[in-house]
Amino acid sequence: MTKKIFYYLLLISTFTTAQSNINPDISLIGTFDTYMNFEKDTPDYGKLLFDMPSLELFIDGYLNPYARATANIAFEEGEFGVEELYAQILRGLPLDMQIKAGKYLLGFGKINIVHPHAWPFLDRPLWQQIYFGEEGFNDIGADVNFILPTTDFYTTLDLGAYSGNSFATNTAGEDADPTDVRGNSLIFVGRLGSFFSLDDFNNLDVGLSGSYGDYAKSSFYIPDSLGFPNQMLKYFYGGIDFKYKYKPDSYTSLIIQSEAILNHRDVVRGNESVPLIESISTYGAFIYFDYQFIKQFSIGLKYDFTYGIIGDDYSATTLSNDNLNKTSGIEGWVGYYPVEETLAFRLGTQYLFYNLADGMSKDGNTTITLQMIFSLGPHKAHQF
Amino acid sequence: MKKYFSLIILLLFSVSVMAQIKVVATTTTVADLVETIGGDKVSVTYLCRSNQDPHFLEVLPSYMLKLRDADLVFKIGLDLEKWLQQLIDGSRNDKLILVDLSTDISKKEVPTTKVDASQGDVHPYGNPHYWLDPENAKIMAEEIYNALTDYSSSNEDFFKKNLDDFKKTIDTHMKNWSASISGMKQKNIITFHKSWVYFSDRFGLNVVSNVEPKPGIPPTPSHDAELIQLIKKDKIKIILMENYYSDSAPNHIAESTGIKVVKVPNAVNGIEGVNSYVKLIDYIVTQISKNG
Repeated sequence: MTKKIFYYLLLISTFTTAQSNINPDISLIGTFDTYMNFEKDTPDYGKLLFDMPSLELFIDGYLNPYARATANIAFEEGEFGVEELYAQILRGLPLDMQIKAGKYLLGFGKINIVHPHAWPFLDRPLWQQIYFGEEGFNDIGADVNFILPTTDFYTTLDLGAYSGNSFATNTAGEDADPTDVRGNSLIFVGRLGSFFSLDDFNNLDVGLSGSYGDYAKSSFYIPDSLGFPNQMLKYFYGGIDFKYKYKPDSYTSLIIQSEAILNHRDVVRGNESVPLIESISTYGAFIYFDYQFIKQFSIGLKYDFTYGIIGDDYSATTLSNDNLNKTSGIEGWVGYYPVEETLAFRLGTQYLFYNLADGMSKDGNTTITLQMIFSLGPHKAHQF
Repeated sequence: MKKYFSLIILLLFSVSVMAQIKVVATTTTVADLVETIGGDKVSVTYLCRSNQDPHFLEVLPSYMLKLRDADLVFKIGLDLEKWLQQLIDGSRNDKLILVDLSTDISKKEVPTTKVDASQGDVHPYGNPHYWLDPENAKIMAEEIYNALTDYSSSNEDFFKKNLDDFKKTIDTHMKNWSASISGMKQKNIITFHKSWVYFSDRFGLNVVSNVEPKPGIPPTPSHDAELIQLIKKDKIKIILMENYYSDSAPNHIAESTGIKVVKVPNAVNGIEGVNSYVKLIDYIVTQISKNG
């Protein structure tokens, strides 16, 4: 009997040990924002407001010696959603390629694939809000990644095909049915990026990105009664990005990073009775620096510019279809990281100013935000 | 004729270079030990510089390039190099052999209860700073010998001779180091990070506290005040710290108590002239003896 109990306990302990050894990494990031908005003639002018805390639950681990899987379940504005869910084949494929498939943040530039809690600043770059939407460029599809044979520096090429569903959201709102807005055509996204280690303390990453496809059906904007031939509205995004980092020791660093986009697309113009389709070209860019002057503190400044008015409703002439109006912004912040990245506080302010083409004026808008971020569980080493 | 001769020389040189085992070491100390055992049969490069904290290394693509062409990668293990797997994944080197040098080390401070972040950055498999004990360097060298021999059995005798020479060198120096530091035996010291347990146990130093209130947690004014009291009460002579940590808190404590702050490298090449494992331990022992 004693022997049986001993074997039983041994079996349980072996099973428990084995199970804990194969458990994926689980980490939880919580973000809590409190802010004051100084937008004239609004009911909340100057009031201290509290956002519902948001969380991101990351589950990540190896499936086998060749592949990993990652899930990111987000709770934002009171709702749960799958922000990312994908698997990656990391090794064993011809040409040393890696494949990623599922739903994830797309590698157009560098900032889009970084989760907001890991940005040094508080507000998503303005052009990303206009051209990608408030949640960034996130879609369902697959991507192949190659290392190119540049021996002195590291160059990768990403090529991916996606459902384009994120464009439906960005064109028609959260509740949009992608098939109503843009049918079922694929979009394509790619990035060519090179990393240069300039010396022990200075590193530089530069990249070119592109995306092409259909973003909407013209019938989405034009009533059927006009008899206008329905056609797909195409877009092309071209992007350029760089990130420079100087890190002489563990306590200080300087980051300068910039990304710009060129948006070329078909848009519906004309008037209500005689619509027509035109091509427009617009652009946006941001640049920021973040200076960590001691281990626990950093300060930074970001300048933003984009075509389109932040906060506009979706239409054929607003947001990413807007080639007349512009928004600029300046954001400054102080970051406090008492114990590594387990807990972070950021105090930031952003001033937005608008340039309207029709001679109308829109007052500038200042927001002051205090953000607390906590990170529970294991976290990966920082990527450049 | 001359042309043929040059070609043959070039060919022989190329073959000898090609025959080298390409090794990546995670730290400069490991790189030095691999070079000592492998000699000219290995070409070694490292990831973490000697003046960097090996706990935190940014995942740079340039490190992936180093691993991409490597045959072997040697690591300290015990969760010190949490960044390594990301680099290996990024390198896409299917043939890379990972060697963990901690396998045969007698681990210290292995947690016996559940580890959580309230204890600071506790390593769940034990304290990883074992390379600071010269007896452990011999075990690491043995592990390196085994890995190199497994990879290139034709050079076994060459590696074995280097291993034996290294062990003899350590044994010879051990006597001198023990004699030099004997004046500090059983004396209380404070260390910045909880990284000197293997070293202090070997040489009989008594670490009574750390400047970090918990491993990896930055110094706080209240903990500094406690240390000041402790130093005055126990008449502690030195704070021993790695030279890549900020010395502002130790210097503040020193101003209030007169304690000496001894900054030393904990890795080969961490300071000019300290270009081998023996010189590293030499330097640390000398600095402690001189200031203790």
